[in-house]
Amino acid sequence: MRRVWSWAALIVGGLYFLLPLIGTIEFSLRMRRGEYSLDAYRSVLSDPNFRATFSYSVAMALLTIVLGVLIVVPTAYWVRLRLPRLRPVIEFITLLPLVIPAIVVVFGYIRLYNTSSVLPLTGTASGTNLLLLCGYATLALPYMYRAVDTGLSTLDVRSLTEAAQSLGAGWVRIIGRLILPNVLGAVMSGAFLSFAIVIGEFTMAALLNRPAFGPYMQLLGANRAYEPAALAVIAFAVTWGCMGLMQLISRLFGTRIRPT
Amino acid sequence: MSFLTLDHLQKSFGATRVVHDFDLAIEKGEFVSFLGPSGCGKTTVLRMVAGFETPTAGRVVIDGQDVTRARPNQRQIGMVFQSYALFPNLTVAENVGFGLRVAGVPRADRAGRVAEMLDLIGLPDLGGRYPWQLSGGQQQRVALARALAPRPRVLLLDEPLSALDAKIRVSLRNQIREIQQQLGITTIFVTHDQEEALSISDRIVVMHKGIADQTGTPAQIYNQPATDFVAGFVGTLNRFEAEVLDAARGLVRVEGAEIALDRPLPAGRITLAARPESLRIAPDGIPAEITGVEFLGSVQRLRARAAGREVVLDRFNEPGAELPSPGAQVRLAAPGAGWLVLTG
Repeated sequence: MRRVWSWAALIVGGLYFLLPLIGTIEFSLRMRRGEYSLDAYRSVLSDPNFRATFSYSVAMALLTIVLGVLIVVPTAYWVRLRLPRLRPVIEFITLLPLVIPAIVVVFGYIRLYNTSSVLPLTGTASGTNLLLLCGYATLALPYMYRAVDTGLSTLDVRSLTEAAQSLGAGWVRIIGRLILPNVLGAVMSGAFLSFAIVIGEFTMAALLNRPAFGPYMQLLGANRAYEPAALAVIAFAVTWGCMGLMQLISRLFGTRIRPT
Repeated sequence: MSFLTLDHLQKSFGATRVVHDFDLAIEKGEFVSFLGPSGCGKTTVLRMVAGFETPTAGRVVIDGQDVTRARPNQRQIGMVFQSYALFPNLTVAENVGFGLRVAGVPRADRAGRVAEMLDLIGLPDLGGRYPWQLSGGQQQRVALARALAPRPRVLLLDEPLSALDAKIRVSLRNQIREIQQQLGITTIFVTHDQEEALSISDRIVVMHKGIADQTGTPAQIYNQPATDFVAGFVGTLNRFEAEVLDAARGLVRVEGAEIALDRPLPAGRITLAARPESLRIAPDGIPAEITGVEFLGSVQRLRARAAGREVVLDRFNEPGAELPSPGAQVRLAAPGAGWLVLTG
């Protein structure tokens, strides 16, 4: 009897997630009247705006990951090494982006860095890109920090650091050569989550008026019928691809370092 | 002029003073152990030598050079940790070669030195393995090779054997001592295990509450403990309350038995102590009742009750000699030199 209920729960849950997906896929294939075709996908993929916005977002996502790693790895490491009592505080700070809506953050940015401010970042395209990059890094912070901190918890950070120091190593070498490689699996999972977030992000990109993938999806959705469905499926596939990669890489690095 | 000088070292964490005025001069090639219970400050002194803690006062001088303020990575000190602390992402050979790589030694020279070190620790074929593929004892030997590879001026061992099981602990400690003597490297070894300290050290510093209670050879520490703490911490002691009969000639009385110590004593009551191997069953002495007999192979251990306390006697096994049985009434004595006089 219990078995039946668990199967029922599984099926209901599965339908809840799968039906909209199947519906979207089915709809995206119906651009040609009366038969299934990939016309919608062809149309999306041949749109130069799709390529431009998608590659813009991919580039931003990669830069976000780099910035995130540069900020988070040394911070999490230092907190564990020297300021363990501050850990709850830092953890709380890294969670703030989940509580503060992106729109609040971006309005804050615009007020602080507008063209009549001391640091007029929004005055130029590259300045605005930089601002958007910082915004993305903030959004990714909770995921990145958590992943890296968990990775660090599997290491005896203090002994490893002292061993390296007694062998003559400086901070850059310790972090780059010892700490980072040992938390690479964790960094990777944080990185792919960041990637998925940045690819679909709408609010910040739209309000800062940058040609990102999120606003493009919205624009397409407002003006076309079949293409948005195709685009949704593509975005979905990309995200799932990222998740799969994340699993694969963390498992790969996991086995290289530890058997479990 | 000694090679490593610890000059009036002090360390406080906040209001707590962990190390009081620690003074020690170590000769080149000497093997010195810091022995004491946990929290006695031995590790803190070691960490001040390594540079992981900055002394509140005092100086650390290595080979005539004051390194008190030098950063740990500029001291040329090799350190081995209780937790091994091998770098998990590097192979054994890369671990051993890490210090050489930091020092900018060319690849070919590095490989030669790594092979030499792996030979030294008896693991010449394990260079390609990762640390998790090794046993604890092997990991600690690799950690030793890693610490020695860059030819450090001083080797610091922070409870390196504590995480290992008993059998490996003994064989590794002998190996550490052999390698240390072969290389002639000045070494400080921190341990809470008196047997370890007694067996491999040139000199032992017994520490207690941040103070060096006594510094001396293992035999001096064991046979002539300078303080009650040293006497009690190193080895087993049987204590007896004694009444001084003649302070000048060193005559005392314990439970009706008179004992001549042949040394001047304070007047009044004192505490006498004897090691288990100094006590023996004699026709004349302190009355006692045997409560237990343990046969340990080369040693027979007798437990007895004397003067209201538990007493332990060790004696070598003699084939044919009869063991007293529990309940037997005996008398215990020790030679005059076997008695320690405790002040507290």
